[in-house]
Amino acid sequence: MSDLLTGYDRGGLFDEVFASDGVVRPHYLELVRRVRDLTAGDLEHREQIRDAIFRTQGITFTVYGDDDGVERTFPLDLLPRIIPAEEWDVIERGVVQRVTALNRFLDDLYVGEQAAVHEGVVPRWLVHTAEGFRREAFGIPMPHGARCLVSGVDLVRDAQGTYRVLEDNLRNPSGISYVLENRAAMTRVLPRAFAAQRVRPVDHYGPMLLRALRSVAPPAAGDQPVAVVLTPGAYNAAYFEHAFLARQMGIELVEGRDLVVDEHVVSMRTTAGLQRVDVIYRRIDDDFLDPVVFRPDSLLGVPGLLSAARAGNVTIVNAVGNGVADDKAVYAFVPDLIRYYLGEEPVLPNVTTYLLWDPEQRAEVLDRLDELVVKPVAASGGYGLVIGPHAEDGELAALRTRIEADPRGFIAQEVVALSRHPTLVNGHIEGRHVDLRPFAIAGERVEVIPGGLTRVALRRGSLVVNSSQGGGSKDTWVLGADPAVNGG
Amino acid sequence: MRLDIHYRTRFAYAGHVSESQNELRACPAIDDRQQLVHYDVRTTPSARVSWYLDYWGTRVDTFGIRLPHTALEVVAEGTVDTVVPEPVEARPPRAALDDPAFRDEHLELLQPSPHVALTATVAEVAHRHAGQAADDVVALAHAVHEGLAALEYAPGATYVGVPVDEVLRAGGGVCQDFAHVAVAMYRTLGVPARYVSGYLFTGDDATGADTDSDEVEVQTHAWVEVAVPGHGWYALDPTNRQQVGERHVTIGRGRDYDDVAPLRGVFLGPPEHDLEVDVRLRRLAVGAPAAAGIGREPSRATLVARQRAQQQQ
Repeated sequence: MSDLLTGYDRGGLFDEVFASDGVVRPHYLELVRRVRDLTAGDLEHREQIRDAIFRTQGITFTVYGDDDGVERTFPLDLLPRIIPAEEWDVIERGVVQRVTALNRFLDDLYVGEQAAVHEGVVPRWLVHTAEGFRREAFGIPMPHGARCLVSGVDLVRDAQGTYRVLEDNLRNPSGISYVLENRAAMTRVLPRAFAAQRVRPVDHYGPMLLRALRSVAPPAAGDQPVAVVLTPGAYNAAYFEHAFLARQMGIELVEGRDLVVDEHVVSMRTTAGLQRVDVIYRRIDDDFLDPVVFRPDSLLGVPGLLSAARAGNVTIVNAVGNGVADDKAVYAFVPDLIRYYLGEEPVLPNVTTYLLWDPEQRAEVLDRLDELVVKPVAASGGYGLVIGPHAEDGELAALRTRIEADPRGFIAQEVVALSRHPTLVNGHIEGRHVDLRPFAIAGERVEVIPGGLTRVALRRGSLVVNSSQGGGSKDTWVLGADPAVNGG
Repeated sequence: MRLDIHYRTRFAYAGHVSESQNELRACPAIDDRQQLVHYDVRTTPSARVSWYLDYWGTRVDTFGIRLPHTALEVVAEGTVDTVVPEPVEARPPRAALDDPAFRDEHLELLQPSPHVALTATVAEVAHRHAGQAADDVVALAHAVHEGLAALEYAPGATYVGVPVDEVLRAGGGVCQDFAHVAVAMYRTLGVPARYVSGYLFTGDDATGADTDSDEVEVQTHAWVEVAVPGHGWYALDPTNRQQVGERHVTIGRGRDYDDVAPLRGVFLGPPEHDLEVDVRLRRLAVGAPAAAGIGREPSRATLVARQRAQQQQ
C-alpha cells in the first residue's frame, strides 16, 4: 500500500513518530492510521481550510531582516506533535523546578541578600556584567516572588530523545497566542483525529494568566485588582499576541500614552475618566518602560512607572531586570542554582555549554568553531546565532575575531541534532527538526500549560526553529494519563 | 562640622507643561562620616514626594506633577554633621590590587562606564604619573591625584558628558571632568574608583579653600573615592587638590555622573526652558538648631539646561 508516509526517511536521527526500527511509537498509532487514509488532495484541501482560518484571524508574525516584506503568517503544520503523559510529567516537573529556582535567584538579586552571588554559586562579575542586570530595579518588590510570571523554557530533544533546556525566556516570551490559535484551528482541520485522542486542553490559559496577574497585585489594591496589557503598539512583531491576550483575559490593551502616573499611582484614561491600574502585563522591554529611569528618548513607556512600582502602588509583570537570569552565560549556572535554592537535582539537563572567558574552554572552542553553535549572550529569537557546521569560512573567521574581542559576549554549545518530526512540505511528508517551548505561569505557585509551542524548521536540514528566522509551528498534543482528563 | 544645606532648582518653560516626572539626588548620605539631622524636599507646584535608596545607597526623592504648569521649583533643605575621615594607616603593596577576591568584589568600579572610557591616552597619562610613585596603593593614589594638578579648573568650560580624552586634550574642565578623568586613571591602573557627588563648603571654587564667612553660595561638587586593600575607601578631591575633609558633604556614589545626577526627569511640553540652580551652605555651631532658615532670596544665575541635567561645578 502506498501512502504519504511511504518512503519516509528518518535520516538516522531521533524521530518523534518512528522509533529507530521504523515502528510507529504507540502514542502516534492513532494519528498515523488516519494520515495513511488521506490522499495528497485531502491534505491540500485541509491546508486550504487552515489558511482560511488564519487569514480571517489576521495572524501574522513580523520577520525582521526579511526582504520579502514585514509580515507573513506563522505557518501551522497539519501534523501535530504528540507527547505522552509520562513524558509530559518529566517536562512539567522540570519546567516548574527551573522557573521556581530562577524566581528565587531573581528575588535574591533584587530584593534579597544576593546569597547565590556571595556564596559563589554564580560569579559576581557575571551578574554585574550582564546586560539584563538592572540596578534601577533594585528594591522593587514582587508579590510571591513571581518575577518570571510568564516564562517560556525552550526544550530540544537530543539524539537519544532526552529533553534538554536550550534557553530560558524570562523577559517577554511570545508565542502563546499561536498555541491557542493552532489548537482552535486543528480542532476544525482534523476534527476526528483530535477527538479520537485524549488531548489535554490549553484554552484555560487566559483565565490562568489573569488569575496569576491578579494574585501579584500590590497589597494596596482592592478585591478586584485591575490588570492591563501594555503594548508598544501595532508596529511591534507580537502586537497580534498582545491584542489576543487582552481579549482572552477580558482586560484593556493599552499603550504608554494611555497610562498616567499621578502621586505614584498609575491610572488609565478611559471614556469615563481615569481608572486606577494595579497590575501591568507589559510587553515592552525594560529599556523603554520608563524614560525617567531608562532611555530618556523612549516614547513607548510611562514616565514615573518605576517610582509607582517602588511605592507599592502597581506591579510590573514580568518584573524589571529578569534579563540577568536568561543571559546565555548565566544559563550555564542554572543547574547549580536549582541545587542551591531547592536542594534538588535538575530534572531537565542543559545542553553542554562552553564559557568563553575561560582560556582553556575558549581555546577548545576556537579550535572547533566549525563544529559548535555560538550565540550572543543577551540576544533572543535566534538573532546573531552561528551554527559552525553550516557557516562559511569567512563567517567563522569574523566570529573568531568577535569572540576574541569580547569573550563574555558569547557562549558556545555542542550542536544538538534536534529530534525530527514528519512535516508536510509541498504536498508530501518529510522529517523536519522541532523544538518545544512550554509556557509556565507563576503566581502563588508555578503551573505549566500542557503542551506549548512546537516550532519546526521548515527548511530541510535547518536547525533554527525561531519564527523570527522563518520557522513554522505545530499544534502540541499532550495526552491525558487518565481517561477522566478528556480535553476538548 | 554642622552644615545647613539649601538646594534649589527652578525650571522656567517656554509654555505650558502638562506633566513632569522627576528623580532628585540631593540628600546628604548617612555613613561613617556623616549624620543626617534633617532633610526635606518640597516642590512648586506641590507634589507628593516619596523616596527610596537606590542600588548605590543614595537617597532618591521622586515626584510627579500632572497639573499644567509653566515653571517648576524644587527646594531641598537639610542639616548634616560631618567629621574628617579616618586617616589611612595601611600601606598595601600594589600587588594587593591583583588579588582576585578584591578585584571580584569591586568589578563594577574597575570597568569603563558611559562617562569613564579607559582610553589609550588615559592609560598613557596614568602610567606616567604612577611610574614615579613608591610601591604602595596609597602612594599610587597620591601620585595620580598630584598628577591631575596639571589640569586647570575652568568654570563653565564644559557641560555634562565631555569625554575624558577631550578633557585631557583641553587641559582642564569643571569638577565632574576632574572626577571622571581621575576615576578613569585609577581604574586603568587597577584601583577600584567611584565617582562621588556632593557639596563643598568653600569660598573659592578654584582652590576649595575655607572661608571666613559662615554662608556660601556654591554649586554641587564631585570628587572620587578609591578602594585601598585592607583599609576601605579613601576619598580625594582632584579639583581642589586636597583630601576630602569635614567641609565635603557626600550625596552619593556610583560608576560615574549618570548614577548620581542630581536631577533627572522628563516633561511633556515645549522643549525650551531656562534652568536656575542655586546651592547655599551655612556653617552652624554643632548643637545649633537644625534648618535655621537660610535667606530665601537666591542669586539669579540662569543657565540654559543641557539635557535637563544639572551643571555641576
